[in-house]
Amino acid sequence: MPESIVGQSVGRVDARAKVTGAAQFPGDLVLPGMLHGKILFAGRPHARVLGVDAAAALAVPGVVAVLTAADVPVNEYGLQTADQPVLCGPGSSRPGADVVRWEGDHVAVVVAESAEAAARGRDLVRVEYEGLPLLTDPFAALEPGALLLHPHKPASEIHPELNVPGNLLSHHQLRKGDVAAAWAEADVIVEAEYRTPSQEHAYLQPEAGLAYIDEEGRVTVAVAGQWTWEDQRQIAHALDVPPEAVRVIYPAIGGAFGGREDMSLQIVLALAAWKLRRPVKIIWSRQESIVGHCKRHPMWFQCRWGARRDGKLVAAQVRVVADGGAYCYTTNKVLGNTTVTCTGPYEIPNVWVDVDGVYTNNPPFGAFRGFGAPQGIFAAEMQMNKLARALGMDPVEVRLKNLLRDESLTAMGTPLPGGVSLVEVTARCAEAAGWRKTLSGWARPLCPPRPETPHLRRGIGLAVALKNIGFSFGYQENCWAKIELQGEREIERATVYLGAAEVGQGSHTAIQQMAAEALGLRREYVQLVMSDTATSPGSSGSVSASRMTFMAGNAVRGAAESALRLWQAEERPAVAEYVYLAPPTTPFDPETGHGVPNFAYGYVAEAVEVEVDVETGELHLLRVVCANDVGKAVNPRMVEGQIEGGIAQAVGWAVMENLVTEGGRVRSDRLSTYLIPSALDVPGQIDAVIVEHPDPRGPWGVRGMGEMPFIPLAPALVAAVHDATGIWFDELPLTPERIVSGLTGKGTETRRP
Amino acid sequence: MANHAITVTVNGVKERVDVPSNMTLLEMLRQRLALTGAKNGCGAGECGACTVLLDGEPVNACMVLAAEVDGAAVVTVEGLAQDGQLSAVQQAFVEEGGVQCGFCTPGMLISAHALLQRNPRPTEDEIREALVGNLCRCTGYTRIVRAVQKAAQGGVE
Repeated sequence: MPESIVGQSVGRVDARAKVTGAAQFPGDLVLPGMLHGKILFAGRPHARVLGVDAAAALAVPGVVAVLTAADVPVNEYGLQTADQPVLCGPGSSRPGADVVRWEGDHVAVVVAESAEAAARGRDLVRVEYEGLPLLTDPFAALEPGALLLHPHKPASEIHPELNVPGNLLSHHQLRKGDVAAAWAEADVIVEAEYRTPSQEHAYLQPEAGLAYIDEEGRVTVAVAGQWTWEDQRQIAHALDVPPEAVRVIYPAIGGAFGGREDMSLQIVLALAAWKLRRPVKIIWSRQESIVGHCKRHPMWFQCRWGARRDGKLVAAQVRVVADGGAYCYTTNKVLGNTTVTCTGPYEIPNVWVDVDGVYTNNPPFGAFRGFGAPQGIFAAEMQMNKLARALGMDPVEVRLKNLLRDESLTAMGTPLPGGVSLVEVTARCAEAAGWRKTLSGWARPLCPPRPETPHLRRGIGLAVALKNIGFSFGYQENCWAKIELQGEREIERATVYLGAAEVGQGSHTAIQQMAAEALGLRREYVQLVMSDTATSPGSSGSVSASRMTFMAGNAVRGAAESALRLWQAEERPAVAEYVYLAPPTTPFDPETGHGVPNFAYGYVAEAVEVEVDVETGELHLLRVVCANDVGKAVNPRMVEGQIEGGIAQAVGWAVMENLVTEGGRVRSDRLSTYLIPSALDVPGQIDAVIVEHPDPRGPWGVRGMGEMPFIPLAPALVAAVHDATGIWFDELPLTPERIVSGLTGKGTETRRP
Repeated sequence: MANHAITVTVNGVKERVDVPSNMTLLEMLRQRLALTGAKNGCGAGECGACTVLLDGEPVNACMVLAAEVDGAAVVTVEGLAQDGQLSAVQQAFVEEGGVQCGFCTPGMLISAHALLQRNPRPTEDEIREALVGNLCRCTGYTRIVRAVQKAAQGGVE
């Protein structure tokens, strides 16, 4: 038996191909006789398509076809509910598919012998629109009598939170104890409103793909996505063919972060190749990418929390409105997480939470690292840091009095799954950030002003978070894997089949490590066949919700055990399939929200040291400490990479990224107008504290971790800015303009109790 | 559209290519020479994923017309390894975890390579300054900076 491979920082399986330029991303793929497609976006957020005239486009030399709504057999799709047309226009197979609800809705796809001819053709497609009134404010969309954006909304059998009237997209609520009566017990009450902004994924690889008919006659789409099996199912639904007639392959994927959870050009590509029986390639420009895919949900929070003088929380009341945009995408799941997280990682006896998602004519809002938890935790941890101030208590000390432990009852009326390590991550983070334990409890490090630079003020802040691992809320989470062992007397090769996407986070490397460990083989003997529905017909689930290592590890372990049993029984090759089923969860009770929404969680605490230039409003992040309980770090170097990358992305959200929309249209549609952090914008020092408190349900004790480092950064940063300046900022991003206007009294000051 | 017959040395190989006036160097590399290492992340010189060396200087290949490179020498990420042997900076990216999704990596490597050519012992600030035009959304840059430092210490570049 070789020494343990799980826990070693081995090199990535794809690193060599990626540093030599050999790795093939979707846009790099070519096939002989390949056609090129260009998609005509609506370019307006709300209108009815009266007619599409393709005559001039078809007259362009090289243009082969113009596909419109009438060409789509079943003109609807969607991950949670099929509320989005594939192509908007008349003659459609579904009611309401003639209406465009956001500027990125697709109206036609022009296919030609060259990309240039396709683009010329696209520009000559004439569309007649009837303008419809715009609804870009979620509060206006909720007004009685507001124009309905989805009058034909189908009832959902599996997602009861979607069965809500009007422009309401989803509704969640929690009722625990008696909040109204509890205020009398509170010595301190903090009330505030928060607003969290949208965020663009800005993965470096814009959407692209190549579709063709493979050697077995399947419509094949090679594309960047997050869940091969689900893409296959949705494409098959729209083409009205059985799933086996469709094949989805993921080559190298240039980042995802949730932005590829819902589909972009997959169905259109498949449709074109299926109709024309020739390979078709589409590559989106950066502008098409920014306009054409979903974003992080902007949210509005009204919070009222109360605590006793000794620091114990007595009640929390939170009302959340989230802009869901034009289509559902994963709004209901995102808001399920906001519901779980918006009262923080605390045991609170009395809780009242209402969370509404609303349809508007803004871009659809969907999955983005953290899935609604960064927003919920922002509000919760802002409240907690303000309560600490109001109580005159150290922020660590007040947390330790309230953090959830094993057996504590959450706002959902049930305990978390065993192995809760919130106290440990909080203490480890605080210690690493310089907190001291004194006789009167924890004390934060002081950041005294320096007389030589009076305009530069330093501060430190801390926040704590939890987030679920995996798909849950009543969904039976599952993961398929197959292992094939070849050889005669000794195992000479093990082949692992799994659908998991490698989006850059290192899933394939971790899977190889876990398979080698489970089989007792060296890594070199383990070959991976990944991310192709033809070779992995079972669903391995989505690469999201920090679930892949946890789920694939359990699946690979199950398959390895069965394959080894067959090997012992002299089967050659020994082949075993296994479907890991996670512990069951329950949907939120519609009245109380009570239940067991999740089967596993990750826990994380972060401290941020900041320097604020009070003259210019510029922030310098000097240091971030992140203590993250990952259960077991399969590959510590890759875990640290996720911590550093997650923090950088959270710094972008908290400080500089600013999605500008005007009348529902995205104006910051380039990387020169939508700024993401460069090498000079990230914290000068990141100290990762990897905590390994095993999850009893995780493979080798693994918890998920990909999203965790993002989640507490923003409230820890705002607390640090408050420590430096005495001002609370209740709205992100903390641009220099917002800082300066806050410091000069023009910004939002917190109302103190 | 007028075509230009140009001669350009790419990764040490002399190529004769007919290019239309509006074709970019990036399009020429990817479409005419099948060198898909340099990536198109924005088409506007904003992300750096298409960075290549043009006569030794890092440039955004999406912002250079192919017709302009007649007579020049171009090095892409495919030209960094010699006889299957990774260059010091490539090797350091692999070892230090400077690669995640890999889409920014080709441009990042070229910028790092160019920096070490002109400054074999850069400070951390100099490294960050040199990479400021190469966006990465995955790594937070920490390990990329460390990889460049490691390559510099190796002194091979």
